[in-house]
Amino acid sequence: MSFMLDDVGLTHSNGFTALSHISLSAIQGESIALIGPSGAGKTSLLSTIGTAYLPTAGRMQVLGRTAAAQSAARELKALRSRIGTVHQAAPIPLRQRVVTAVLAGKLGQWPLWKALASLAYPQDIAGAREALARVQLEDKLFARCDQLSGGQLQRVGIARVLYQQAGLILADEPVSALDPALSQATVQLLVQEAAARKATLVASLHAVDLALANFARIVGVRNGRLAFDLPAAQVSEAQLQALYAHADGSPADLPMLHNRLAQRDPASTTPAPIQVNACR
Amino acid sequence: MPIERAEPARPSRRDPSARGRLSGLILTLVVLWPMLQTSGFSLRPLFDADNLKVIGGFLAQFLPPETSGEFLAYLGQATLETLAIATAGMALAFVIAVPMAYLSTGAARERVTLNPIARSVLTILRGIPELVWALVFVRVFGLGPAAGVLALGLTYGGMLAKVYAEILESTVPAPAHALRASGAGRIQALLYGLLPQAAKELTSYTVYRWECAIRASVVMGFVGAGGLGQLMDQAMKMLNGGEAASILLAFMLLVAAADLLSWWLRRALDAAPAARALPFGWRTGTFVLTACAALWASMRLLDIDFSALFTADAATSMGDFVRGFFPPDLSRPWLLRVLQGIWETLAISIVGTLLAAIAGLLLALPRWRAPWNVVLNVLRSVPELVWATITALAVGLGPFAGALALALHTTGVLGRLFAEALQNAPAAPANALKLSGSNRLLAFCYGTLPGAAPQLLAYTLYRWEMNIRMAAILGFVGAGGLGQLLYFELSLFHYAQASTVIMAMLLLSIAVDWSSAALRRAMR
Repeated sequence: MSFMLDDVGLTHSNGFTALSHISLSAIQGESIALIGPSGAGKTSLLSTIGTAYLPTAGRMQVLGRTAAAQSAARELKALRSRIGTVHQAAPIPLRQRVVTAVLAGKLGQWPLWKALASLAYPQDIAGAREALARVQLEDKLFARCDQLSGGQLQRVGIARVLYQQAGLILADEPVSALDPALSQATVQLLVQEAAARKATLVASLHAVDLALANFARIVGVRNGRLAFDLPAAQVSEAQLQALYAHADGSPADLPMLHNRLAQRDPASTTPAPIQVNACR
Repeated sequence: MPIERAEPARPSRRDPSARGRLSGLILTLVVLWPMLQTSGFSLRPLFDADNLKVIGGFLAQFLPPETSGEFLAYLGQATLETLAIATAGMALAFVIAVPMAYLSTGAARERVTLNPIARSVLTILRGIPELVWALVFVRVFGLGPAAGVLALGLTYGGMLAKVYAEILESTVPAPAHALRASGAGRIQALLYGLLPQAAKELTSYTVYRWECAIRASVVMGFVGAGGLGQLMDQAMKMLNGGEAASILLAFMLLVAAADLLSWWLRRALDAAPAARALPFGWRTGTFVLTACAALWASMRLLDIDFSALFTADAATSMGDFVRGFFPPDLSRPWLLRVLQGIWETLAISIVGTLLAAIAGLLLALPRWRAPWNVVLNVLRSVPELVWATITALAVGLGPFAGALALALHTTGVLGRLFAEALQNAPAAPANALKLSGSNRLLAFCYGTLPGAAPQLLAYTLYRWEMNIRMAAILGFVGAGGLGQLLYFELSLFHYAQASTVIMAMLLLSIAVDWSSAALRRAMR
């Protein structure tokens, strides 16, 4: 069992209920796609499995450990070091070098001295190179992240998770900032690498076709609840229509890879210029 | 796979930048070591039991603060005097700055011809520290606030004019160009094309400078220009800790109040104007009235006899005095002494800034922010020169006292700036690292610091620039460097030698200006 959620609910401190009555489990090595309209609770669900939020109702086990609000911080930290997360925009400081960004994947596993020494001289160049080779970025090993394109940066984020050798990989809209061709390739890469490592992969995806084409199991989420949980081949058109229907029940277009309207590029979010008061 | 193929060239097995980093580190140490030696850096006096007892005994005297009615009356008088010196000095600075900025700026000119004469006058005005001006004016006009007001006015006039000119030059020039092209004169183009855009920044900077002037006017008391500084100097010379504590408290309150007022004024600048013919609202009206009233009250309180300053008598004594400075002593041994003074000043500034950057970063770490905020504010609101009087007692006269004093004040400033920079750095990287099991320290080192580092470095360099100027005058209270040389020579009436030192200060200030502009261009 990779993770097991039993009637889990999540209510934020402001009273908003993000998830309710979620029962979901996965065996080690499965690959699952979460789909559903925006605001359905996909990110909340991923964050809960990743122990960023702890369930406010029900029970949850991740990688053989019970994760609950009363879990000790040390235990959670050890658990989190075995969970890798791929984010919508790679959370990497742009002025960091690629090698350091990849090695940061093992900060939870390395002793403190090694992590600090690695800031002065990278402690596992071979390991970082190997992980980067998996995402075809070996030549960028010593480049700085601000020299990479948005797609390359996203792949560095994946290389970090691969280097972390996580038993559970969570991906929150990993390709929503990439163009269609790159999206398809990146999702394929994630699925292949997770399978090669026998790691469980849970990815939330905006594009329905991308999910159906690449994942064995599809979980539909709507209004903080599970709508369906089926093998990809058994998901019917009617179920999809119901999942994405407007609140008043009228049908909506299914979000597909090729009909996305707005493209965003994370590389265009350049850091603000340095400013100093003219005080003299 | 459609992802583009990796290029065949494989990067080396070793980190290619390791050699550069190592040589950078060695170079830094090679430069830093003699600096530490020169500044007399040593942790021993801070851990020596006997010395600690002395410092402890001295600090114990600070408690309880002196609260006798007679002293409080003095204190109130001195506080008012400090405020008045700052206000009158700023008024003088403003009167100097406006025409000088108009003459020196390239804004709203049809051809960009910078006025080199106006620019060099400004460089000299602000290149010589206000404390040196004050020291000189005290010799001419005698002890009292007049010297302080004049010194503040000249230095701050130079600074304000330069910044006004820069602000005007950096506003969008198109409206002014259009006005000039349709026949408007330069003043009209400035008033209608540039001022509306720049007004907020100009006002905000002026108010901020007034806040700085309060700090500066305290410091000038140390050379006999009145106010809280003079009182502090007397209290420290008589080792009267209780009085010193009261003065420090009064001073902190004053700075905090000025801080608050200037924050309120700057916020008021953001309010949208009312829709009516007269563009000035009640805030502007109150502000102008208050400023005029404050100026009038200041002049009354200080009771400076300006007519006495501009008589033939004063002019001749001024002329005689200035003539004493020429020619400057350029003999070889004296030049060597001055060079040594410059080196010592640089060492003090570098060691002080470095210590402050380290301490400031530690205090700015998110985990410790709340309890240390108070400490940062106290450190910041006491000026370097006041700290120097205290550190000189703790570690003895000499450059190390200066470096420590700089470090204490700068820690307060940098700690606050660093905390802001860290808060503004993107949070996502560190949060992601915490989610994959790393602890707070490592998440900070790998996630937050790389994003904030350029800003932290820029702040540190900017403070270092200010600290070089400050280190040059800390010597007035015996903390080494050029200031100590100048103070000695002026006390001994060796004006030719003093003039060399003043020129060295001016050159140092110009060099700092020039190199920091170059650095900023390189970092852009």
